[in-house]
Amino acid sequence: MAGTLEVLLLDDEPIVGRRLKPALDKIGCNVEGFEDPGAAVARIDEKQFDVVVTDIRMEGMDGIQVLEHVQRRWPGTRVILITGYAKMDLAREAMGKGVFDFIAKPFRPDDLRRIILRAAEDMGVFLDTDPDGDAPADQ
Amino acid sequence: MGILGKLKKLGHGETGVRDFSVQTLRFWKFLENARALMELAADGREKVAGEYIFDRHYVVSLIDSVVDRLGMMVYDAGVLVPEKGASLYAAHDRLKQAARHLITGPVESAGDAEDPEYKLLADALQWFDDPAAPPEKTVTALMKKAFLDVMQGRVGAGAAKMTSLFDSGNLRATDMDIYLVDLWRDPLTLPVRKRSVAGFNSIPLRHLLMDVRREKTADTGGAAPGKTAWVAAVDEYHLSLNRLGPGPCFRLEALASGYEPSDFIFVYTDRPGLLETLLPRGLHVEAAAQGRIAWSLDMSASAIEKSLAAMGREIFDEGLWAGE
Repeated sequence: MAGTLEVLLLDDEPIVGRRLKPALDKIGCNVEGFEDPGAAVARIDEKQFDVVVTDIRMEGMDGIQVLEHVQRRWPGTRVILITGYAKMDLAREAMGKGVFDFIAKPFRPDDLRRIILRAAEDMGVFLDTDPDGDAPADQ
Repeated sequence: MGILGKLKKLGHGETGVRDFSVQTLRFWKFLENARALMELAADGREKVAGEYIFDRHYVVSLIDSVVDRLGMMVYDAGVLVPEKGASLYAAHDRLKQAARHLITGPVESAGDAEDPEYKLLADALQWFDDPAAPPEKTVTALMKKAFLDVMQGRVGAGAAKMTSLFDSGNLRATDMDIYLVDLWRDPLTLPVRKRSVAGFNSIPLRHLLMDVRREKTADTGGAAPGKTAWVAAVDEYHLSLNRLGPGPCFRLEALASGYEPSDFIFVYTDRPGLLETLLPRGLHVEAAAQGRIAWSLDMSASAIEKSLAAMGREIFDEGLWAGE
């Protein structure tokens, strides 16, 4: 039987949450979406998520700070960073800090679903990869 | 440093051949920028149609890149046909202002079902190309105008004079009625003796002449009387072929490096009906009252080879130009 994954999704661009949430719901993720980093961090303090997906560049608090906060509070949580600027210096900094993976905008929901499926596997959770026959296609 | 930079550094006292070469290289830059613009638009179309997640930054970057590339294309056109520069720059400024308005203006009527980022991208693509828009209101329309201005400017730039220019520089081939300019050498020092087509190391020239019969040419004077005069400016991967003298204008540009994403064929002529008989399949054609432009996108290396060979057979058949 397929498992479920608790996912927190943080991006200050509303389009990201609006378009990603339904795509992740389909593979068995319980997604909580946030546009405000402060509110997201407050929620992280309350609840352990399996996966946190966060944009890097945001007003007030950047994705690296969110990553550091998650790692202090819940070291087992996998963090995936979204960036609009695929900058190597940021990637290096984040990889050194133990980020699970990166994804650069523009991307398709399938691209993120593949990463989430890997994160789930890494945690021993097996999600429904073909909920209604439209599972992510192999690359 | 590229050959264009090297030639520009030589500065004053340029020979006619050097000037011709600089113009040819500048035209390649012009084509490169046009191609980059088409790729930017294709990327935007893929994103807007393909369920992508992107943010406003992506759209703004796309618009900025289009404005920059279009500016480069207009600059190239202004160098090639200075008398057209002012009107092209003015049209570019208007499009730049329209782009600023897109970016800073309010997002109009983005319904619940439509994300504002998608609406902005759709508007940007319409700014790029909208067949219903008035002339010069879109990027595509300005690109087309720039192309036609450049091509007509070149036709008017004394093509008839060119034959004597090339005759005086030992540039006529020994085995075919064609003038050959090696863009890396001849603008700096003209050859001391005439050369054969077979001795040139240029991939697209080789493709073009693959099936063309060559024979020893007369050792005196220029092109044989009554025959069409051609000049081919080449380097290893590029070819720029121009029909000289009076009569219809015909220009063929090709890049055949084997790196398929950047290779292309470009053709211009002002002779009605010519492209229909000449062009291989797979080229896009834009028609205007002043002439026709055709170009390839995403052609494989073997398709470019076959297309050039097929065009070579037609172009160098004197029957095609009979009566001109």
